[in-house]
Amino acid sequence: MSPKAKRRAPPGNVSSRRTRPTPFQFVKEKAGIREWRLTSNGLKLLLLENRVAPVVTFAIVYHVGSRNEGVGYTGATHLLEHLMFKGTPKYQRDKGTAIAAVLEAIGARFNATTWFDRTNYYETIPSDQFETAVRIEASRMRGSLLRDQDRQPEMTVVRNEFERGENSPFQVLYKLAFATAFREHPYHHPTIGWRSDIEGVSTARLKEFYDTFYHPNNATALIIGDFEESSALATIDEHFGRIPASRREIPRVLTVEPPQEGERRFIVRRVGQVAWISLSWRTVQANHPDTAALALLAHLMGGGVTSRLYQALVEKSLALSVNVIAWQLRDPALFSVFAPVRPGVEPAAVEAVIREEVQRVAREGVSEAEAEKARTQIEADVVFDRDSSDQIAASLSEAIAVADWEWYADYPSVIRSVPREEIQRVAQTYFNDDGLTVGVFLPKSAGSAGESAPDEEGDGE
Amino acid sequence: MKPSPRPTRLGPRKGEGRPSYAEAIVSRKLPSGTELYVLENHINPTMALSGSLFAGGLFAPAERRILASVTAGELSKGTQSHTKLEIAEELESRGSSISFSSDASDPVGVDLGGAALSRHSDHLLDRLVEILTTPVFPAAELEKEKKRLIGAIQQQQDQTSVRSYEAAMRQIYPASHPFHRLRGEALIAIVDSLQPSDLDTFYRERYGAASLRLVIVGDVVAARVLDRLEKALSGWRQGPRPKWPALPVPPPAPGRESIEMPEKASADVVLASPSDLTRPERAYLPCTLANSALGQSSLTSRLGVRVRDREGLTYGIHSGFHSTHIAGPFTVTLSVRPENRAAALESTLDEIARFLKTGLKDKEFADEKSSRIGKFKVDLGSNSGLASAIDAAIYYGLGVSYLDEFPARVSAVTKEEADAEFRQRVDPGRFTIVAAGSFEGRT
Repeated sequence: MSPKAKRRAPPGNVSSRRTRPTPFQFVKEKAGIREWRLTSNGLKLLLLENRVAPVVTFAIVYHVGSRNEGVGYTGATHLLEHLMFKGTPKYQRDKGTAIAAVLEAIGARFNATTWFDRTNYYETIPSDQFETAVRIEASRMRGSLLRDQDRQPEMTVVRNEFERGENSPFQVLYKLAFATAFREHPYHHPTIGWRSDIEGVSTARLKEFYDTFYHPNNATALIIGDFEESSALATIDEHFGRIPASRREIPRVLTVEPPQEGERRFIVRRVGQVAWISLSWRTVQANHPDTAALALLAHLMGGGVTSRLYQALVEKSLALSVNVIAWQLRDPALFSVFAPVRPGVEPAAVEAVIREEVQRVAREGVSEAEAEKARTQIEADVVFDRDSSDQIAASLSEAIAVADWEWYADYPSVIRSVPREEIQRVAQTYFNDDGLTVGVFLPKSAGSAGESAPDEEGDGE
Repeated sequence: MKPSPRPTRLGPRKGEGRPSYAEAIVSRKLPSGTELYVLENHINPTMALSGSLFAGGLFAPAERRILASVTAGELSKGTQSHTKLEIAEELESRGSSISFSSDASDPVGVDLGGAALSRHSDHLLDRLVEILTTPVFPAAELEKEKKRLIGAIQQQQDQTSVRSYEAAMRQIYPASHPFHRLRGEALIAIVDSLQPSDLDTFYRERYGAASLRLVIVGDVVAARVLDRLEKALSGWRQGPRPKWPALPVPPPAPGRESIEMPEKASADVVLASPSDLTRPERAYLPCTLANSALGQSSLTSRLGVRVRDREGLTYGIHSGFHSTHIAGPFTVTLSVRPENRAAALESTLDEIARFLKTGLKDKEFADEKSSRIGKFKVDLGSNSGLASAIDAAIYYGLGVSYLDEFPARVSAVTKEEADAEFRQRVDPGRFTIVAAGSFEGRT
């Protein structure tokens, strides 16, 4: 699309190039993001022009994630996401029109991901290929084939993905941290699912899941980058406009995790050379007023060489690195610290330092310079994100999954407004032992492990 | 690029609305040999930096190539004017970042990277030059880094992907070759032995203005950036010119190896053979177009469709040439459930053989070409993407016009050429095959 052709439609209702009247309702605009709603089925649209390059990102976020699963079908959201590439009546491998192949041929950077609160599908493409992406996403919103013959090989693909994760101490620790900290809320279940559920979930159960959650009124479409608004909306209407809204109400998650009433601990022992430790405190949901202060706290604890835990652990040669995450999710989540322990150091020594450092913030607070550095780092991250349409789409997808798009738009100013005293207050509020889960990954010796001699013939087993 | 004492900005290309990249990029070559490139892009208030210097592991003694990556990593640990903590404090408080790295995947170069809000661009450039030209390699910092690095190597040795790849490289490359990989314990012993004087000597021998290339893209004024950098770099020693000896490609070493690693849920398999393909040469595009069809993507390539999509034997399978200024290996890598190793390997080898026999299909080849052109366009969609692409074009001597010529260059490749170049370099009978994982009692 030529920049000269850029003409923004005035707020109000606009019609598509077909004859149906006023298919879109303009909702609101903030920070350059314009929200529209497809009146025929409730599909929400967020548009943000960003003409860094002749590239556009189209993404669909479904408001369904592992949070919506239960025992027996954990991992269903993720397995379904894989099956969504297996085809629709229009896009099929056997017809030479496999979804991935069509996208690959136009040079798309595309994929799909599943997380606790959402599933997203995205394509970053040359602007003139926008309609191809829209057509594919519309086709699989209600037309996915979901055949058992596809599920069977895909299940083993996903199982190998699960197995790769089991090779990673970090992934093992974070999954068990959530499983231990959450006993009732579905954040207990890892997004990839438990192995036996991955293996056992039926195609019929996946179809039921699809029919429950994959509807326009449970989705948000994002168009970010180089596009012309009225033309983009018309394309959306043409391909999504006739898809009906769900006839049933989209089920809500009712389970609330009760307060944690005492420290919890878990230990994993596996063959390896490096121990890991994680400390996770129960916190709040993303749209809670304390979220910004927790994000700043995470930055000043683990955001760079000058951060408190880097200085206390890596600079002191106690840990190999440190990763601090203030998880931002739709329901109350965790504030986590992960660290691989330097061989020869006791994990307990690292745990003690982490405990002392978080308590020091609670006890003494932080300096204004430290708080300002954290604010600036987060602000800079937001500005860097705006360099590329796919990064904006990724950030916006997370925001609408855990809160709403205005949360994304307001984030820089909310961060800017947090006084340093608030950082100390949230440390005092959440860093208490009753809400703490400590996890330790302990390496054990390999026994007979070792390399065999090279074998020129046969396969050396 | 022609040497130019002043910035040269060319006008828009006739008949088109926007200037070509070659026209829009402002460059300057300094008497020392340093080349500077700036592309103004004022849409966002950010700048991205990418650059290179020819001081990679190839230039370190063969038995201690890791000296190059440790030296690059330690550059920012202290200068004649600032401590590590002061440098980090200044950068982090502005939301800026600078990185210097060299790893074994490119034996020739050191990568320079950076990002800043445009209002802090002067500070970023000043610190970059300071770090590059006046590092002091404090002993205490090196001791800390050695401890961290040794732990990190131990961590890597727990990974099936690392163990299988390193073992394959040991089999196909002699110890003198930069793509050879040492065993973990040997690498740890070398790291342990490093002294600040080793880093200082390597720095003095290899770092200098002659091989420095810097690319800046973003919300900056090109002339100001060029003037600032030229002034800041004016006193730096010239250092060696970028050149290196031709390395003979070793003969293939077909064979199989199995590495038992207990309690690993997933195993990794590597198929590898030496290749003569370097990044700058003409055969690179035909070969990589053919490889895209064979194994670039786990979702759409022939290997992906067969081994992952149809047979469900792997989560990820990729093939590729490790081509830089130095020819590296051709590899196929896949992760598998240990029980599925034999089946996955059989399918992989069969699919490669089938691909070599039948060659590319017309539509497949046309799709690969359109895909490559489209992806190139998409990759240029950010300041950092633009900086990386310009840097790569310069680093490999292709010139900035490569960004404009890329679609035509891809279009000009014929199917016959791609098939022939690929067949010349890939032969399943020559593969060294290494698997790492928990196989005992499961296969």
